[in-house]
Amino acid sequence: MSSQPVAESKLGLRTSLFKRYETLTVLSIFAGFVVVIVVLQLFLTGGTKFPTFISPVNLLNILQQVGVPGIVAVGMTIVMISGGIDLSVGMLASLVSIITALGISKWQLGVVPSVLLGIASAVVLETIMGFIISRTKVEPFIITLGGMITFQGIALLLCSSREVIMNGELDFLKANLIQGAKDPVSHLNLIVPPYVLIFFVIALLGGLLLGYTKYGRRIYAIGTNPQAAYLAGIDVKNMKLSAYVIMGVLVGIGAVMLLARINTGIITLGQGLEIDSIAMVVIGGTALKGGKGNVVGTLIGVFFLGSIGNAMNMLRLPSEVQFVAKGLVVIIAVSAGDVSNRISGFLSRRRELRWHAEQRATKGESVESTSNPK
Amino acid sequence: MSEILRLTNISKTFPGVMALQNISFDLNEGEVHCLCGENGAGKSTLIKVLSGAYQPDEGGEIFFEGKPVILNPHLAMSLGIQTIYQEHVVFESLSVTENVFAGAEIVKRGFLQKAEMRRQTLGVLKYLKSGLSPDAIMGDLNSSGQKIVEIAKGLIFKRRAIILDEPTASLSSVEIENLLEIIETVKNSGLGIIYISHHLEEVFKIGDRVTVLRDGRKVSQHEIAGLTKTTLIKDMVGRDPSTFYRREKVPIREVVFEAREVTGNGARDISFTLRRGEIVGIAGMAGSGRSELMNVLFGSARLDFGEILINGKLVKHSHPKNAIQNKMCFITEDRQNTGLFLPQTIAQNVTIANLVNTREFVVHSRDDTRIGDKFVKQLAIKTPNSQTRVVELSGGNQQKVVLAKWFNTKGEIFIFDEPTLGIDVGSKQEIYKVMVDLLKQGKAIIMVSSDMPEVISMSDRVLVIKNGEKMAELSGDEISEENILINSIGDKTI
Repeated sequence: MSSQPVAESKLGLRTSLFKRYETLTVLSIFAGFVVVIVVLQLFLTGGTKFPTFISPVNLLNILQQVGVPGIVAVGMTIVMISGGIDLSVGMLASLVSIITALGISKWQLGVVPSVLLGIASAVVLETIMGFIISRTKVEPFIITLGGMITFQGIALLLCSSREVIMNGELDFLKANLIQGAKDPVSHLNLIVPPYVLIFFVIALLGGLLLGYTKYGRRIYAIGTNPQAAYLAGIDVKNMKLSAYVIMGVLVGIGAVMLLARINTGIITLGQGLEIDSIAMVVIGGTALKGGKGNVVGTLIGVFFLGSIGNAMNMLRLPSEVQFVAKGLVVIIAVSAGDVSNRISGFLSRRRELRWHAEQRATKGESVESTSNPK
Repeated sequence: MSEILRLTNISKTFPGVMALQNISFDLNEGEVHCLCGENGAGKSTLIKVLSGAYQPDEGGEIFFEGKPVILNPHLAMSLGIQTIYQEHVVFESLSVTENVFAGAEIVKRGFLQKAEMRRQTLGVLKYLKSGLSPDAIMGDLNSSGQKIVEIAKGLIFKRRAIILDEPTASLSSVEIENLLEIIETVKNSGLGIIYISHHLEEVFKIGDRVTVLRDGRKVSQHEIAGLTKTTLIKDMVGRDPSTFYRREKVPIREVVFEAREVTGNGARDISFTLRRGEIVGIAGMAGSGRSELMNVLFGSARLDFGEILINGKLVKHSHPKNAIQNKMCFITEDRQNTGLFLPQTIAQNVTIANLVNTREFVVHSRDDTRIGDKFVKQLAIKTPNSQTRVVELSGGNQQKVVLAKWFNTKGEIFIFDEPTLGIDVGSKQEIYKVMVDLLKQGKAIIMVSSDMPEVISMSDRVLVIKNGEKMAELSGDEISEENILINSIGDKTI
């Protein structure tokens, strides 16, 4: 337990912007990425055409692609801040889509009851996993991995390994909310389907919940130090459980949106959703060990990851390249915080040394020039 | 009987603390040399010097079999000095044999000689009459079994000296008996054993000599034969009066808290009352079950039997939140792991426990900041404002954040578990002052402490706990080092 002299800790406060505002790190990487793509595109098209990457129609296109993973990523943010993780979301989304599609086309339950049945099953399954995670000491990684495999099995059993095709009963979910609006540059139709709106509403609610409520405070507390949280009167077990319940609701909603987009309940529907949403959350600065992160960071992660594939398209690169790019972005975004910390730590140590040297100099003592690199 | 180890003139200073002062100590072949002393007397530091973990200050010398050596952990090991700490570092998923030979496997042409290693392990385990199997999985053994394996390791590798730090701390009486017999066998095979224990019965049973430490100094050395417990305890007490604190007395008012026959989590049948304006000190040796009792009172461990009354009303604490709602506060011993959210700001730490008492679902960061800043000022936490992350504060200031967290809940019954552990002298005084201020406001304090001067100078009454049971309740002039020590380590009869 080192007691720092006051002077030193005062110096320590003058740290880099990146250290104090961690979302700024990833935001600047994102901005850099956008600039590079725009410049490349201008260069490749000979500087004659408007860069289509930042055209309204393309931006809205990106939004459509990230809407559903974004909804799941908001839930993943809450789960991960509480110290957990959920690998099952992808297969759970597939299962929900198959249940909902079956409800509509085979069991003839009607649209609304089928959708509710799908969402309710997601909530029930997440609740079961959350219950096991919060009541035992088994790693959430393992439980949700088991969940993922189980859900895949249930889904395949339900649909007899076949796809469940609907007759467009959920088309109202992909209707265009701004019918008739045109892109000022390309004059293509602009499309904002309802699920994009729902994504923004959920992100807003998630952000408010984490940042401005008692519930949010407690989620951060149990993620930071569950033992101290327990002794501060927080019901750690039920808080953990609640994070998975919320996750269930969001995966349910997200899965129905996905189903509406492709009109078919199929096992591949949610494939990779867990990887994408976890990547989005960690790009946004949420720590795997919990207690750190926020929805604003996650939103940046969502847009960042979502625009990579699109950007590769714009640059006419083969679509396989996007995986390499996505992977690199995750690695760079997550290590950037640490690298900038090291740099600012190095700078502040130098400042300290200089400060001490000045102090000694003003006291009239001999100054060791070796400890004062200028 | 030849000498294995000799230490002369050993001192060890840490910034601001003289942990050891001119200690001389020696160990012969075939003897058990016991080390006794209160918590903080310097026993652990001495062990660390012996095992090479700490270097003694200038002027101290260590001789191994007559030759001067400068110990480091590696050299100590290769000379044959083995330390068995209270907490084991073992490979839980490996077998006994694999644990014994971990890092020193017998290998022939690149292949492990499993049969040979097993044979040697079995031989020693049999010699010790331990009944352990060399194939048992280490994680399946209890603390006593794991200790025996460590001792067996000492014999297999022909160690010269074994240091045992509180080996019987969590053992049952049958296991203690068994372990003491094994130590006897090992001793007779010619090894030297340094034995540290709070339990005088054990010291008298297996010891040949005993050295008593107090405040980092060697007080005396005796042959066990002919020594009485009274003499030994007399040597252990009598601390430097400058380490005591003169506390202002506060008028004591009505009873606010009462425990009746509280049993659970290792505590057995403990009853006491606590009045407003009063500090009840809970004394006892490390591992006597004091913190365990506090957890029961606070609802963080189960109450199996007994009653807790607050302001005369029967309460049930099945979760800490109930205790907090009943105006209890728990300043835990291990503040970094159980009291603080280190990466979070002071403001966030200060406001977290009071969430139990608030009705509003929505919280505002600026309210947290206002409350945080108020406590930064009130408790003179050395930082510009409450937006500093707690991890950046010193130990004393971190403890103040813990206090602020509980003050913010407007609690009235405070449990302080080791309130000044690891805190420098200046901050200690400040924390004592804060405690007295609490008493003046009509609040009440239960204080668990292993710091003898702290217990004696701060408490109005003292409960002495041993093995989870209340051995004595002392008040007024009865509160003395000797009385506390006799009750916490000795038999009731002396």
